[in-house]
Amino acid sequence: MNGRKIGIRALIAVVLLWTLVPLLWMLLSSFKPTSSLAATTPELTFTPTLEHYRALFSGGNDIGGYAVNSILSAGISTLIAVALGSLAGYGLARSEFRGKDHVAFWIISTRMAPIAAAVLPLFVIFRATHLLGTTTGLIVAYLSFNLPFAIWIMNAFFADLPPSLEEAAMVDGATRWTAFRRIALPLVLPGVATTAILCLVFSWNDYAFASTFSGPDSQTLPMAASQLVTQTEIDWGQLTAIGTIVVAPMILVGLVVRKWLVTGLTLGAVTGE
Amino acid sequence: MAVAAEHRSQARERSRTRRRFGLSFEGRLMAPALIILALLSLLPFLYIIAMSLSRVGLIGGISLHWAGLDNWSRLFSDSSVGAAWVRSIVYFVATVGLEMLLGIGIALLIYELAWGRNLVLSLLLMPMFMAPVIVGLLGRFLTDSTFGLYAWVLRETGIYSGDILGSTTSAFIAVTLMDVWEWTPLIALIVLAGLASLPGPVMEAAAIDGAGYWKRLRHIVLPMIAGVVVVALLVRSMDAIRYFDIIYNTTNGGPADATKIVPIRLYETAFRFFDLGYAAAIGLSLLAASILVANLFLRTLKRQGLAR
Repeated sequence: MNGRKIGIRALIAVVLLWTLVPLLWMLLSSFKPTSSLAATTPELTFTPTLEHYRALFSGGNDIGGYAVNSILSAGISTLIAVALGSLAGYGLARSEFRGKDHVAFWIISTRMAPIAAAVLPLFVIFRATHLLGTTTGLIVAYLSFNLPFAIWIMNAFFADLPPSLEEAAMVDGATRWTAFRRIALPLVLPGVATTAILCLVFSWNDYAFASTFSGPDSQTLPMAASQLVTQTEIDWGQLTAIGTIVVAPMILVGLVVRKWLVTGLTLGAVTGE
Repeated sequence: MAVAAEHRSQARERSRTRRRFGLSFEGRLMAPALIILALLSLLPFLYIIAMSLSRVGLIGGISLHWAGLDNWSRLFSDSSVGAAWVRSIVYFVATVGLEMLLGIGIALLIYELAWGRNLVLSLLLMPMFMAPVIVGLLGRFLTDSTFGLYAWVLRETGIYSGDILGSTTSAFIAVTLMDVWEWTPLIALIVLAGLASLPGPVMEAAAIDGAGYWKRLRHIVLPMIAGVVVVALLVRSMDAIRYFDIIYNTTNGGPADATKIVPIRLYETAFRFFDLGYAAAIGLSLLAASILVANLFLRTLKRQGLAR
């Protein structure tokens, strides 16, 4: 092994340390007994305990309800976005009309609107329509960024598919709907999965919309995490435990579609391996 | 070209013949999503414009009282909003700039790996899937002056022993690094995809011609991945304008306004001072910035022939 190779590996090791230490420290701390967490010199050896996880699921601050709200609002919003987004994405990819560029621009600027700016009018509209404090309100709010995202990405995946396959099927007598449903859609299943997972991650991770729109009956896990921070003290044990609970499932599902992530995250501008 | 044009005219022909209820097949597929999107975007857009021209009353139901350009003239003479814009720009340049430099560097490093590329990449991508609020809270934990791991490391090595999130410069650096920690992997991922698509023979030919690594990098590799790098920059920029969760959950604009970027200022104006009309004007100016970047993004796509 020459010096250059060693250099590269050393640098990568540094990058991995920088990236992984905070995550490992969170995981480790969530199993530390409170006495060990309070040590002013970080302790690496301790007797692991589940006390923080147990505390999160018991008593008055049970986070079970928050978890259900998170799953419902992120899950339902994702399902609607992916279903409607696939239809519209296909329609957009296979059509030519004047003003298509303007429609594309409208879709992408909706996706990219700053959350702080989107929250304001939605807050007033939700207040007038009694959607504040409800899970339905959160689902609608998440659709405001998931739907344009799903349309855009599904459009990119369908546009990559040559239309000749569907045309061949139609020559054989298939209707356009059948050609879409039986030929095009199955071929972009990785795209559908990527879109669904990214929509899920975006809405599961949301804090700004949830903190403005949700009430006692619709609060999500990220809110439960931020509520552990009070003026007087912070329970770091419970905080690292809930952090692990919020983060772990998203890392797992995110890495499942790693191959197509580039396409999804660059909105179809760059295609992966 | 001719083939494409013919294909297009065929497509048009097809959609014309299959038109039903005045909408083509494609139109009917798009209609549900676009109608909902219109309700979710155009309605709020018109409403925020109306809000920015009003005094918004919240007591006893919401009411808008015409205020003309009051909010707007206030916006352009408000030095605290001006200061928030300056901080936003500094924060934007620092975070996105560092993420680009580090991301490109990391992608080049991983590209050199003969094996284990996928494993290293998977490990590196993990922060990207984290809820920014958890990144913020974890950052608070690591920098806590009593219990924080990083605070302890900095203290033991004699680099810094104060309260990291408690003083202005160190707080600003800390929230910048939290953002860099979470989003550098995104840039690395995109740039690596660009590197992976480079034709092998070109690289080999250059190496055989005796071009050293840095020469190849500067004259061949970087120019060839320039398009992908620009895409990475624009994608990241759009998100950088969108989010404010990390600062919101660490310093919330403090200490002494050191990290009060525009979205934080907006939130405070709307939901602490309940001055919704003025907040709407601030929001629209923020929206203008993001529309500008979205526009650049679309143009880049077109210029590179990537638009579909």
